[in-house]
Amino acid sequence: MLLVENLFKTYRRNVDVVKVLSGVNLTVEDGEFLSIVGASGSGKSTLLHLMGTLDTPDSGSIYLDGRRIDQLSNTQRDILRNRTFGYVFQFYHLLPELSAYENVLMPAFIRESTLDWLKTRRQWRKRADELFERVGLSHRKTHKPREMSGGEMQRAAIARSLLQNPRVLLADEPTGNLDAQNGEQIVQLLRNLNKDDGVSIVMVTHNLDIVKATDRVVKLVGGRVAEEPAERLFPPRLLSAVG
Amino acid sequence: MYKLILCMRYLRTRYLAFVCIVSVMLGVATLIVVNSVMSGFSNKLRDRLHGVLSDVILDTDNFAGFREPPDEIAKRILASPAGPHIEVMAPTVEVVATIQFQFRGMNVVKPVKLTGVNADVQSKVGGFGQFISGQKHLAVPSFDLSPEALRRFARNIDENAGLDEIMRGKATLEAEKPNESDFLGSGPRIQAPIDVPTNFPAPDLPQFEAPKPIGIFVGHSLAHFRYKNPETGLTEEIAALKPGDSVLVATLAADEMRPVWGTFVVADYFKSDMSEYDSQFVYMSLPDLQRLRRMGDRVSHMQIKLKEATPKSFTFVKANVTDEIQKLFRPYEVRAATWEEHQGPLLAAIDVERGILNLLLFMIVGVAGFSILAIFTMIVSEKIRDIGIMKSLGASSRGVMGIFVWYAVLLGFVGCSLGTVLGLGITYNINAIEKGITVLTGAELFPRDIYYFDKIPTNVESLTVILVNIGAMSIAIASSLIPAYRAARLRPIQALRFE
Repeated sequence: MLLVENLFKTYRRNVDVVKVLSGVNLTVEDGEFLSIVGASGSGKSTLLHLMGTLDTPDSGSIYLDGRRIDQLSNTQRDILRNRTFGYVFQFYHLLPELSAYENVLMPAFIRESTLDWLKTRRQWRKRADELFERVGLSHRKTHKPREMSGGEMQRAAIARSLLQNPRVLLADEPTGNLDAQNGEQIVQLLRNLNKDDGVSIVMVTHNLDIVKATDRVVKLVGGRVAEEPAERLFPPRLLSAVG
Repeated sequence: MYKLILCMRYLRTRYLAFVCIVSVMLGVATLIVVNSVMSGFSNKLRDRLHGVLSDVILDTDNFAGFREPPDEIAKRILASPAGPHIEVMAPTVEVVATIQFQFRGMNVVKPVKLTGVNADVQSKVGGFGQFISGQKHLAVPSFDLSPEALRRFARNIDENAGLDEIMRGKATLEAEKPNESDFLGSGPRIQAPIDVPTNFPAPDLPQFEAPKPIGIFVGHSLAHFRYKNPETGLTEEIAALKPGDSVLVATLAADEMRPVWGTFVVADYFKSDMSEYDSQFVYMSLPDLQRLRRMGDRVSHMQIKLKEATPKSFTFVKANVTDEIQKLFRPYEVRAATWEEHQGPLLAAIDVERGILNLLLFMIVGVAGFSILAIFTMIVSEKIRDIGIMKSLGASSRGVMGIFVWYAVLLGFVGCSLGTVLGLGITYNINAIEKGITVLTGAELFPRDIYYFDKIPTNVESLTVILVNIGAMSIAIASSLIPAYRAARLRPIQALRFE
């Protein structure tokens, strides 16, 4: 379970101070597919980044299975990002010099030393092959990102995020750069992964159409989780606000 | 693992990497070429200096030479602790002199360093024999005139009736004692027969029994004039003195300060390819010079060759030979020195020149280092998003820094390797390259008349090549550290949001 308690985050640039999060409380249950919605600048992505230890909060705390993770050392946070969290970004963020296959294997490259890689490479390749099969990209393994479509790049990014069987998958506007059809496919893929593998997924989006596929929707307003009833935000069957 | 993969991939795909590699390559190649040429020059110069000089030289400031005869000096030296190191000793007389000769109506007078040697012993202490142009094939050079030189000599005599006496074996050596009144005024008046160009030496010389003309070796540059041909633009050489031509040599007597002179015949050229020597040195046989200067069997120098087994390092020779020999003589009267000490200023100048050149060139490589710094800063800026991706996937700050440091190591390695190959390639083919550039541009890059070398000498020292590579690698790595550190310090989200 991922627990966020009273999280604050402010960005400063010279004299400008922008309060992004102002006391966010949130719980993500194991195996849950949660979507976070809100207007631009409401702090959705910031919350996601803090949950994934990509950034540190000004105050508040984040727990993973009861263990506080926002105050871990850099090395421990690196390990956490490598093995426990998986990330999917709006702009895919694949390394342009590497093939799709190498991009998917990158978390393993980071995890293993050269010598260890020589010992474990077969199992990692087997896992990568499975993931390519699963995301329907087996024919694109050797292709560079620039040779792939947006949907294909996002599927490769999802495969990369799943390589190490993460506990939590953090998706930041995964369909934001895709057309409706590809966006639908990506959400469906995430949904299937959630169901089949039991991986918890936290997805940030402002596309209300795709939140239908999620278990629960949280709306951020002005850096806080919205207090108003969920029914006023979205169709009742989809929503259950927390906060 | 990822560091290696990314380094290799960046190396293959980045245009900027190519620029870094070229910077390092050119720096390394330049340093190798310059050092090899400088070392080649230095070695060749040392070889020639050493070839002309023996391992150890004993000399005196006494114009009359050592107080003792050379046999006595040799005995004392051999009996000293330095004795076991000594292979052979050659007594010589070295004195300042002038030579005078006629060339196309001109009366040419040049200051020279006149040395009297026993050709056989002198050949054993140094490379004397190998510097005598026409006698390199002989183990011991001879002052005797070759048949061709003799024919030329005879032809000259026929053309110049004033030299009849020489042909008849008369008066080839002369010493004139000036009157006391000659020393009045600014100095002695030297009555050399230079005002009788078609009739020298002076006909009223005392009789001297000499069965044949006395041969001498004159420096190649003394006997040849160089000039730039206005038609071809090339420097050409013309022989002003040929074997068989007569010259007048004037010097000072050893017993008292008075001029002595004699007429000698050029037997051959001394050509060491050292312009300073070739334009100053004149050799004659030791007994002839002793006789000319009225110094009996006294000599002014002892050239000492050390045994093969004796270490030739300066410190060893200084401690075990020269210092021991010096103890045998009064230090203010007789001086024992190694050949390096004798040529100290010249050798020191070469070393200083080489040191300064290296410093300047390394500064140029340092500038290349700054270009690497700039390029790496650009590469890091370009790769900020990749850094964010890597960090979001769990790469540590140290690992990210490692990517760029290893990248610099790879760039440095490739640049150094290519630079070494290029540098060695240029060094080994420098003469062909020089010739090609000369043909293409019409400008002579290596004027042989200035350097007196037939070709550009080179000497590749492994240690220098290794040090150049280590230096260039260090500069490449050091230049990458700041950008790499900046990359490592980036927070993942800061990097991911970078546009």
